[in-house]
Amino acid sequence: MNKKKKGALWVHIVLCTAVILVCFPIVFALIKSTQNTAQVLSPSLKIGSSFFHNFKRAFFDYKLWIYMKNSLVISVYVTLGKIILSFLAAFALVYFKFKGKKIIFIFIIVTLMMPTEVLILGLFNLIANKPAASLLQWASWVFNPVKLLFHPIAYGFGWSNTNLAIIVPFLASATGVFLFIQHFNSVPRSLVDSSRIDGTGPIGFIFHILIPMSWNTIGALALIQFVYVWNQYLWPRVIVRYDANQVVQVGMNKIIAIGDSVAWGEVMSGAIIAMIPPLIIFALLYNAFMKGYALSSDK
Amino acid sequence: MNIFDQGENAVFRGTWKAVLFLLPTILILIVFLYFPAWHSLVMSFFRNNLFLGTHTFIGLGNYRNLFTGPLAPAFLQSLTQTLLISLLIVFIGISASIFLAIQANKKIKGGTVYRMLLIWPFALSPAVAGTIFLFIFNPEVGIMNTLLDFLFSVKPRWLDSPLLALTLVVFAAVWKYLGYNIVFYLAALQNIPTEPLEAADIDGAGAWRKFFNVLYPLLSPTTFFLVFTNISYAFFETFGLIDILTTGGPVGPPTVLDKTGITTTLMYKVFQDGFGGSSNMGFAAAESVILTIMVGVVAYFQFSSMGKGIHYQG
Amino acid sequence: MKRVLSLFALAVLSVGMVCAGGNQETSQTEKPVKEIYFWHAFGDAARSQWIEDRAGEFNTSHPGYKVVVEAKGSYRDTLQAAILADKQGSAPHLVQVFEVGSQLAYDSGIFMPVGEIGSFDTSDYIKPVLNYYTINDKVNSIPFNSSSPVLYINKDKIVEAGYPVDYVPATFSDVIKLLETAKAKGVEGAKFSMCLHGWYFEQWMSEQNAMLVNNGNGRDARATETNLNSPAGMKIGNFMAELAKKDLYTYSGKFEDWNGSDAIFEEGKAMIHITSTADLGNISKAVEGKFKLGVGFIPIPDGATRNGTVIGGASVWVTKNHPEDELTAARDFVLFMTNTENMVSWHKLTGYYPVRNSSVEALKQEGWFDSDANQIVAFNQLLQTKSNKASAGALAGTLTDNRTIIETALQKILQGADVKSALAEAKILSDTKLKEYNANF
Repeated sequence: MNKKKKGALWVHIVLCTAVILVCFPIVFALIKSTQNTAQVLSPSLKIGSSFFHNFKRAFFDYKLWIYMKNSLVISVYVTLGKIILSFLAAFALVYFKFKGKKIIFIFIIVTLMMPTEVLILGLFNLIANKPAASLLQWASWVFNPVKLLFHPIAYGFGWSNTNLAIIVPFLASATGVFLFIQHFNSVPRSLVDSSRIDGTGPIGFIFHILIPMSWNTIGALALIQFVYVWNQYLWPRVIVRYDANQVVQVGMNKIIAIGDSVAWGEVMSGAIIAMIPPLIIFALLYNAFMKGYALSSDK
Repeated sequence: MNIFDQGENAVFRGTWKAVLFLLPTILILIVFLYFPAWHSLVMSFFRNNLFLGTHTFIGLGNYRNLFTGPLAPAFLQSLTQTLLISLLIVFIGISASIFLAIQANKKIKGGTVYRMLLIWPFALSPAVAGTIFLFIFNPEVGIMNTLLDFLFSVKPRWLDSPLLALTLVVFAAVWKYLGYNIVFYLAALQNIPTEPLEAADIDGAGAWRKFFNVLYPLLSPTTFFLVFTNISYAFFETFGLIDILTTGGPVGPPTVLDKTGITTTLMYKVFQDGFGGSSNMGFAAAESVILTIMVGVVAYFQFSSMGKGIHYQG
Repeated sequence: MKRVLSLFALAVLSVGMVCAGGNQETSQTEKPVKEIYFWHAFGDAARSQWIEDRAGEFNTSHPGYKVVVEAKGSYRDTLQAAILADKQGSAPHLVQVFEVGSQLAYDSGIFMPVGEIGSFDTSDYIKPVLNYYTINDKVNSIPFNSSSPVLYINKDKIVEAGYPVDYVPATFSDVIKLLETAKAKGVEGAKFSMCLHGWYFEQWMSEQNAMLVNNGNGRDARATETNLNSPAGMKIGNFMAELAKKDLYTYSGKFEDWNGSDAIFEEGKAMIHITSTADLGNISKAVEGKFKLGVGFIPIPDGATRNGTVIGGASVWVTKNHPEDELTAARDFVLFMTNTENMVSWHKLTGYYPVRNSSVEALKQEGWFDSDANQIVAFNQLLQTKSNKASAGALAGTLTDNRTIIETALQKILQGADVKSALAEAKILSDTKLKEYNANF
């Protein structure tokens, strides 16, 4: 008994240390975001009274609200798009009989090895180049295999001044397809059969049976993808050229990179603001995530 | 891949309907992944300057520059560093999180509180992590050095002494990803049947033996999944952290790793060469092709080990 | 769970829909007023607001045109953004390009010499400034924000070290001696704190009347080689090596970290500092009440005859492919922004040189230079600059790469690497990059 108590004490010590290490930087940032210019460079860890001042500076003077708005729009669209598209794709792969299924599955799953980052140079040209002036011009490029494949990318989407540049390329998700396939395979056969007997078509089946059974997987995927998209840095840093379209991860850094000496209190409040939305999503979807993950692990 | 074992689920017919459901995903993948990936490859055979808009076919010229001549040492160094940094991040990150997850999963008072406090930084971004660390570890005005100066009268040069900068980047990267790893381990642990552990307890197995013989095998599917995600995190997502914290610097120890910044990962170098300076995109494309091959090798091992009985459960 | 998720979906959808409307702000729609776009690199409130104000004034006095100003981040980002926009067929009319980007901008072919838009009088622009932006004998762009590095001094520490309050170290060895003396006397922060930047290397080359690249600093013909390990370059390397060996130098550890180094100086952790004259306003404000600030010429290598600094900063370039009247309006805006009166207020606000002789005259008559000695120091340094190819500044397409290479070499030297081999290696690397770049033509 005594030994067990001692063991528990050790566990507490270990966990406390870990918690302090993990939380300190964020708590530190939080405290510093409340201090004024004079305090912020001092080692003082007293909570100051300048939080609203710093917040106001970061949010309005440094236009953080524009970046936040953009990040929010982008994350929402991409998350929804990924869920819907990969749900449909997984549905077709699991519940339909057709030839070439394996090839399509491999085609999708291989993209796990192709993160945007490694093809960023090609994607950059595709997104940034001017669209063709006429359909004819475009067709003479697309339908000429030599030009299309071996010449530099001639026409693109001309999107580097819109949010589309950070939304559309990310709408498909191999991870999502994979998770949904696993989940669908765990749906009992009997349910599928009964719906067949009722004479429900695919659409009815999706809405009446599959979606209600998939909330946890959807929640898990939503959490992973929202956090992923919200935290994206490299691609927006490279492609977005207008402040009006910049995302918060890159925009936040602008508070550091401007001409005056760094106002660390404002920077820290920017960092804290940028953390809040994914934290809210995390809190909301944590249970779904745990269950969705457990479900796929049961298999 | 046993994914379609339950093929009996395939109850609907009509190829065109299936194609309709698959079309959006496939179109996006072709246009925004396969096509640009192919063109990144094509670009690597060209001399291609972003500012000048030039395109000249130079065959393997860019690849030759990667491996011989004055530009090669910097590339080879960043290749080595990428592997080293990834190895450290994966090894430290996975071991720390497996250890902490097991501790936090124990039935102790306040277990839930510990669990929440350990995983909430899940949502942190590399850019935020970089920003906070930049402030804490600023050599002159950061709190870390103020503290160390006060206690021990030392002021380590966190951002420009190579070893410290490397350690700092690895530490920050591991810290940022700890929440993510722990979440997955906790989820896995909570689904582990308790019987094997109880059986081991009855056997009187020691903690280490219990871990390696019972727990570790049960967690190995999660570990495999996390090793892959951690590697791809170390390769790519650390970019934001590095860009803000060290901008790829400082240059490494003289004569050993002094051809480029010690925290210049391959991804960072692709960015520097392709979009920085005078923007030699062809050269950067060749680097990104090498990076793709590295990811491919990692993924190959991942998938082939999945085929060999440890099946994918993430 | 279902309810939480549906609520969540509903919430995000509505947010998405509300926000989606705002995405098209930047699209150029048909308007009765013609918009003139001007992209610059000032992210800070003071400078960008000044530009916004000038645009506002111009817009009121020129109905029919509307100058739209946008800050694009760093100089590198601004130039890249302009080229990218041109690829998409929506280049801004006016772009602020930094001095070392001149050749790159020139080669990109998206700009046109401003001299080709009607005629305008350049005689009032200060000679060394105009020199930098004259390429192939044509005024290529309109000088706007010009600066050079000056020495910032913490006078309190100078006094503490036992030197007269107005002491300014003139040479590299003066600097070493000053810092060593201060250190021996136990002055806290007996350090030199400029940021690690290739710009200073370029400055010290010019001060020694040495060319950074061959072919007349790239002005006689396209440069093919750099002179990083020339004797002049070696003197700079040796200076940094000595500072490091004696532990007299400090910086944030990052390349080109202007703000990081300024903070070190402002916090009293350093005794002397070099940075742009353009920071005079910001630094004076930051150290007010902390210590007495002095400004002097930058110290130069021992034995060199002071040749003067290279003009730093940026100029405004005009892009091709716009209707004639928009180009004229664009040029007129820049001429308005840099007119006598505006350059006076720009100078007072920031510390950048007024680029017009008439502005200098106006400032003199106003007694501005008598009132603030620090301002005149910076200015004299520019006026005393000898007009030659070294001080006109280098032209080469890879000067931005060159800066990174120099910074890497200097950092290596700070860590104890051999100066000679570090600079020799830097030269090889820089020449290779230049060769790669030149192969595009």
